[in-house]
Amino acid sequence: MNALLAVLWKDLVSEWRSRDRLVAMGVFALLVVVVLYLAAPPGAGPEARAHVPGLLWVAYLFAGVLGLNRAFATELENEALSLLALAPVERGFIFLGKALASFALLLVVEAATAVAFALAFDLDLWPVAGRLALVAALGAAGLCSLGTLFSAIAVRTQYREVMLPLLLLPLLVPVLLGAVRATNALLLEGTLPWPALQLLLVTDGVFGIVSFLTFEVVLDE
Amino acid sequence: MSLVLRTRALEKRFGPLVALHPLDLELAAGSALAVLGPNGAGKSTLLRLFAGLARPSAGSIEIHPEGGSRSFRRRSVGLVGHASFLTPTLTTRENLVLAARLFGVEAPGEAAARALAAEELLPVAERRAGALSRGLAQRAAIARALLHDPKLVLLDEPWTGLDARAAARLSQRLAAEKGAGRALVIVTHDLGRVVGLAERALLLVRGRAAWLEAAAVRDTATLEAAASAAVARMESAR
Repeated sequence: MNALLAVLWKDLVSEWRSRDRLVAMGVFALLVVVVLYLAAPPGAGPEARAHVPGLLWVAYLFAGVLGLNRAFATELENEALSLLALAPVERGFIFLGKALASFALLLVVEAATAVAFALAFDLDLWPVAGRLALVAALGAAGLCSLGTLFSAIAVRTQYREVMLPLLLLPLLVPVLLGAVRATNALLLEGTLPWPALQLLLVTDGVFGIVSFLTFEVVLDE
Repeated sequence: MSLVLRTRALEKRFGPLVALHPLDLELAAGSALAVLGPNGAGKSTLLRLFAGLARPSAGSIEIHPEGGSRSFRRRSVGLVGHASFLTPTLTTRENLVLAARLFGVEAPGEAAARALAAEELLPVAERRAGALSRGLAQRAAIARALLHDPKLVLLDEPWTGLDARAAARLSQRLAAEKGAGRALVIVTHDLGRVVGLAERALLLVRGRAAWLEAAAVRDTATLEAAASAAVARMESAR
């Protein structure tokens, strides 16, 4: 547990000082909002708003992948990753520390992006804010747990920037399915469908456990 | 003195390339082994195997006492590698506190302060690691490697980047650490540095190991002559 907190602290302090991941993720997500706003201004009516849940997750997904691509890239300088590999701790806790840091950053970007979407498309998110935050957090958890594992794999490959999305995106389909369906129902009908939530919970659980257990193999050599 | 490290037929291959041919080795507490050899001989690979950063292709590595858990083995080893392993955005002190926390050292802040003082790094304690000179980063790496009181200290070119005073102090410190019962494995091209510090020298050439006679590590000229002759012998035997 101490290792989890140490790694989480290291990543958040490093990010606070450099802000390279947060800025890249935030700018990308806001650019998506701006492009979509220009393509379908608020005057376009409810048809345009019907696409918002899917578009919101396009922004979340690619901003998340952008951030995850940098999650281990920063460890390459001075071979800082070797310190984590040398540490006499359960590798799963190192994984959790890294995943939680990415999760925290993605939550910040998701909140800012949701506000930007609401302003651009004249949506009143306030009545569903709590439930939307829950769905966004569950989607981010799935993305960050599997993304952290694959980021650790991709960082040691020659084409790491390309490798991460190639490995990650196909496996994220269940997370996206659950997240988009839940967000869709929430924004259009004001309800949160249990099957979509269930899918998110199950995939998060599976991805989290698999990543926790297999991180040792990934980190060691 | 009790045994700290033992390898049996330790071997490392990268695909068809044999980086390290089968090696048997024993190292006792309070002793030092110099690992010499030309570039690409497999010296750093050997240290990475000892540190647990690479897995053997065949054979075994035992860190004594035997039967210890994996985390016990990791806690027993301190590594100074080619790179410093420091996070550039953290200060020198924060890097040491991080290492102390990862290695389960009690009172990480105090341990980091002691390590900073031992390497005379207190004036740069609040400076970010990314802004440290090569020599200062190397001293911070040494402080980090010794912070958790390891039984086996692995050093890959530890004098690199150090000025004359810091290099002399490092030699003194390593002698003191050895005197305190730590086992040292020192990879170096600077043969003069290990004379008087190491009792034995292992020469690696293209992954093949040869022991130099103990008498060879008594003075620099003899060691250089013995190493050159052994390299020539091993190269011609290929």
